[in-house]
Amino acid sequence: MAEPDGNDIYLSTSPHIAQPLATPLIMRIVVLCLLPIAAFGVWLYGLPALVTLIVSVASTVIFESLFRLAIKKDVRAGDFSAVITGLLLALVLPPTTPPWMTALGAFFAVVVAKEFFGGLGANVFNPALSGRAFLFVSFSKPLTTWIAPRAVDAVSSASTLAQAYTPDAVTSATPLSYIKPAEGAVMTASDIASKLGLSSDHELYRRMFLGLRAGSIGESAIFLILIFGAILVATKIIDWRAPVAMVATAVAVTWIAGIDPVLTLLSGGLLFGAVFMATDYATSPVTPWGRLLFGAGAGLITALVRLYGGYPESVMFSILIMNAVTPFLNKIIPRMYGKVSRVRKGESPK
Amino acid sequence: MRIKSFSGGIHPHARKEKTASLPIESAFPSSRMVWIPVTQGGAQNSVLVQVGDTVSRGQIIAESEAAMSVPVHASVAGVVRKIELHLVAGNLDSPCVCIESDGTDRTDFMGALDPFTCTREEALARVRAAGIVGMGGAAFPSYVKLNPPKGAKIDYLIANGAECEPYLTIDACTMRESAGKVVDGLAIAMRIADAKEGIIALEDDKADIVPIIEKAIAELHAVPIGPGACAMSVVLCKAKYPEGGEKTLIEAILGRQVPSGGIPAACGCVVQNVGTLKAISEAFREGKPLIDRPLTVSGGACATPKNIEVPIGTLVGDLIPAPIALTSGVAKIVSGGPMMGVAMMSADFPVQKNTSGVLFLTARETVLSDETPCIGCGFCMGACSYRLSPVLIVRALKGDNLAEATRCGLMDCVECGACGYACPARIKFIEHFRVGKQLVRAERQRAQAREAAAKDSSGANRTGDAIIPGNETFSRKGDL
Repeated sequence: MAEPDGNDIYLSTSPHIAQPLATPLIMRIVVLCLLPIAAFGVWLYGLPALVTLIVSVASTVIFESLFRLAIKKDVRAGDFSAVITGLLLALVLPPTTPPWMTALGAFFAVVVAKEFFGGLGANVFNPALSGRAFLFVSFSKPLTTWIAPRAVDAVSSASTLAQAYTPDAVTSATPLSYIKPAEGAVMTASDIASKLGLSSDHELYRRMFLGLRAGSIGESAIFLILIFGAILVATKIIDWRAPVAMVATAVAVTWIAGIDPVLTLLSGGLLFGAVFMATDYATSPVTPWGRLLFGAGAGLITALVRLYGGYPESVMFSILIMNAVTPFLNKIIPRMYGKVSRVRKGESPK
Repeated sequence: MRIKSFSGGIHPHARKEKTASLPIESAFPSSRMVWIPVTQGGAQNSVLVQVGDTVSRGQIIAESEAAMSVPVHASVAGVVRKIELHLVAGNLDSPCVCIESDGTDRTDFMGALDPFTCTREEALARVRAAGIVGMGGAAFPSYVKLNPPKGAKIDYLIANGAECEPYLTIDACTMRESAGKVVDGLAIAMRIADAKEGIIALEDDKADIVPIIEKAIAELHAVPIGPGACAMSVVLCKAKYPEGGEKTLIEAILGRQVPSGGIPAACGCVVQNVGTLKAISEAFREGKPLIDRPLTVSGGACATPKNIEVPIGTLVGDLIPAPIALTSGVAKIVSGGPMMGVAMMSADFPVQKNTSGVLFLTARETVLSDETPCIGCGFCMGACSYRLSPVLIVRALKGDNLAEATRCGLMDCVECGACGYACPARIKFIEHFRVGKQLVRAERQRAQAREAAAKDSSGANRTGDAIIPGNETFSRKGDL
């Protein structure tokens, strides 16, 4: 009766092995994918962006931990979920958001939108977007004040780094603010380019692709969003359905209305929202068709607001609205194995 | 050869390299005792021997008249020492017959029977008398599988050599060493089930076995009468879990689906594990019942991973420290494969007809963490090859919504464990599902009882008594 000596034998139901991607690891990978985008935002918009990022991440982690201590639950800072919320919130805020405002948004994101609903995985609305929406409706002026990006082209001539940033941080128009048809007239890319003082529409596309425009800290770096979105899809950490459906729908609908599709794709927070917000695990559907419809719905609302809405951008509201629909989209389950009609006779192996 | 596959599934590390090329060694328990569980698949048996009886190898020691029952035979020649409860796979204490070997090789086999000249009924009776059950893990009585319900026409008899469970290599070794018996068993099974075509299915990581089987088929066909007249082919399937599940295997090979709640015969298929087919061949050609069991012993805490063949009833603990040596750091002892096997409280349990492997896993290679909150990633949805919605079933069960859980596929779950493998939150899906299934069955029984009571309302004081826990308890888990 030889027993394995000195071993603690564990019992559990099967399976006895699991893939290595546990929740904390997934969260860390997402953080790693967001960091380059954040770093680029800091490079682009300078110190204010860095302050916003630090305040946001610190606030989400601290508020979540304090709240969980207060309700006598285990502190979950180690799972990095709060870090993601903090990063995401900062990345969708204007660089110059006052720090106290950022902290307030962070509080709303993790405590009201996430922990009040039961914490990790149980929240209905995307915490980062909820935080931003709260700030947006409360303090709409600072939340729509943008600073111009680092004047990259001027770096060589304007010698110092300080001068490379537009010194007075004037409120700067984003390309998006010109997209909406004014009195029925749609501006072409060339029109917008000239209005922004750029040489051609290609120059406009190039600058927007590289993120050289005014905007939220993380939304402008289109090329980085594409790279890290592709990595997350390739590693199957996020599913392609919601982002692709969202972008495709938004581009298609605005295109029909005469708006330059490339401009739609590159402007505002569409791509950032599609890749990092519409794929939020807890607040988007788990079923394949649910995800497609979720993305399509968010894309449609985004397009309609861009065309007819009172705000220049509404990726935020479109995703939050679809968050509310998620439980219903989860009803659309895949067709199960064996739920088909009778077997066809005389079928041979292929 | 085109590689067949199915949708979904997972790709765990195979970890078969340590034992894949090792021969099957014979082993004997150090205590010279075997503890043979009285019932090993099918209905409850009753013991036919008494303490003190002298028995021979192959002698029936437990049997039942009940439908779906399969006899159990003595696996060593010797004396019955005890008949009492003993720990068996599943962590239950179950009645076992303890036989002490007298060191002889006295056998009491049946006579050989030609499966191609005897009647179909005689052949079925032989499969039952030999005590043959599914050796892939499910222990479902083979004669029941080979005798599909009236009206079901069997097109294909599939020999399941996929062996998609990580670590396990015993089916592969059986095919490599006894390809002749496997194809002969397939021919016999085809004859009994009246199947038109036989298919031997392997995962593509075992492609090296294909020529061996093709050679065995060619040898069979050299004499085109009896088994030689059976049409057979080899098919390679993608190495993916759960390729060896009955339903997924049928979908991968034939593009057919077993209807929900039905058996493979409903779509013209019967699936038998290759080890089972070898046992069928021996039952006819040698008259040998199922008394020896080859299995893989492996895992990170096993210093001597190997394929061994032992008399059924051998306590795993009696194989330690020789021929199986362990290292320190055993965190889990698993009877079966890591995906569907049972974690045992100790190694002191007997090898049964369906024990395809025993694993000694270290903390590093297994999962010891508790459930963490579901983050809604949906990985389980993609992992489920039956297109069920594991996360939604768990959510429905937590909300006591049995109807929604059933709609999302609860009762169609074969408990392959792919969802649990894919889950980053380490949700114990199978645990939730088993509880949920019991609740649904209890609910259905109550509904039946109400109906019966309503029909029976004329009968005076009768209540809805004697609702026997139905045949649903025989729901098959499938050989993986």
